[in-house]
Amino acid sequence: MTINRLHVTGRLMFVIGSLASAAPLVADIEPSDWLNRMAAAVQSTSYEGTVIRTKDGAVEVLRVVHTVQDGVVREKVVAQEGSGIEIIRIGNEVHNILPDRKSVLVEQWDDQSTLFSTLPSSKVRFGSEYDLAIVRKERVAGREAILLAIRPHDGYRYGHRIWLDKVTSFPLQTQLIEDGTAIEEVKFAEITISEEIHASALAPSYSTENFTWLTQTTGHSAAEIETSWTSSELPAGFRAVSTHEEQMQGSDAMVTHILYSDGLANVSVFITARTGKMFAGAARVGGSNSYSIEIDEHEITAIGEVPAMTVEHIATTMRRR
Amino acid sequence: MNEAIRMQLSAYVDGELPQNEAELLLRRMSQDVELRQEVAEYLAIGRVMRGEAGVAGVDRIHDRVLAEIDHRIDVDSAAGVVEPPARAIKPLLGVAVAATVALVAIFGLQQTTSVDRVEPQEAVTTVVDAVPDYSPEQDQLRQYLLSHGETSSQLGANGINSRLVTLRFSSEVVVEPDDADDTDETAAQP
Repeated sequence: MTINRLHVTGRLMFVIGSLASAAPLVADIEPSDWLNRMAAAVQSTSYEGTVIRTKDGAVEVLRVVHTVQDGVVREKVVAQEGSGIEIIRIGNEVHNILPDRKSVLVEQWDDQSTLFSTLPSSKVRFGSEYDLAIVRKERVAGREAILLAIRPHDGYRYGHRIWLDKVTSFPLQTQLIEDGTAIEEVKFAEITISEEIHASALAPSYSTENFTWLTQTTGHSAAEIETSWTSSELPAGFRAVSTHEEQMQGSDAMVTHILYSDGLANVSVFITARTGKMFAGAARVGGSNSYSIEIDEHEITAIGEVPAMTVEHIATTMRRR
Repeated sequence: MNEAIRMQLSAYVDGELPQNEAELLLRRMSQDVELRQEVAEYLAIGRVMRGEAGVAGVDRIHDRVLAEIDHRIDVDSAAGVVEPPARAIKPLLGVAVAATVALVAIFGLQQTTSVDRVEPQEAVTTVVDAVPDYSPEQDQLRQYLLSHGETSSQLGANGINSRLVTLRFSSEVVVEPDDADDTDETAAQP
């Protein structure tokens, strides 16, 4: 009896001890640390799975394979419905296979972003324009996840919800939030996180032998400039992060392009002398909004993944210094 | 107002507060005028008083609240049922704590009607074949969107969105039948 009691007591102590030591593991990690872990996981995790992407009530299913070996990203994304667009990336070279057009569009992606590096880094000044909080634990794609909420302090930007895999910190689900409602969502229905992904999984699904291969020329040329244009009343937290002069495809007109960012949300403002081609007013695609207006004989268009009121506010407050 | 309540309130706005905690928060606010006033100041007035910009979007939320409250009152009247919370909210709308009440009301509505997932639509389509909202005449806007996507991506932002949108727009712009015969644009097949 004594031995059994000791044994049971010992097991209980072990369980309690385990719980006591496990509980703080999540609680002790600051929300911002989860984001840092996520940023590292996105850069280094190899995985394959099925992603459901929802936007404007439309649903898209994507098969995704992603590996990182010796710092080189190899990625394959296949649309499971519709025309079956397939994107294959090896390092910076990207082949966009358009089976319905029997074409392959070749692009160079200079940046390091992957299809899922949509998320904020520690560069965002949390506490100023956004709050960051751990909401609760949930299961996503059969895995235990931590739900992080990024909540804006005002209506000039969207919120985000991110479900991070508890073990790897990889984002299993993300939502773009407007007024408490998800307006865009990317979610893994199933995922395998493994270093053992066979190279054949990254091969094209189609024989592209008879396809037309096209090189995606840069759509426009751009050069850094200084400009006298600025918003007289930028929403709090936004600042200009780059200013370029660009020449758009099929046009001789030069366009000034100012990119404003609060570290998470980005808004581009395009300014050009009157062309008469401007689509005046507001337009929307998914979470992206635009607003165009004529000011001082110039056409001003603000566009970004922010609420409609933000692009309208920025566009209508553009002035020459 | 302590940090815990502030965070709780913030979670409530986003519909992320568990139901039981939401009920406790509402009950506490309904019984504590001082807290309601503090919340109002925190949510709107406080920022203005500190010389910061007003809280954008509050007017829009306020309008939605009024519409929802009117709707609820109509429904309750038709059903012959008057819920205490709705009755309590209505007379308060015109007084100094209007902002608080309006926000509390919308929080309540969001808590019950908001979704953790994207709401299903009647007709679900695939994005792949969906035609963007822009008409073919809106080339300028489309090019701006492409340029914005490229530039934003260089900051590491909006990867999947800008890539997929860019690709679909690119495929419309670049892969035209005429282009396919253009040897200048045709790359050597590896």
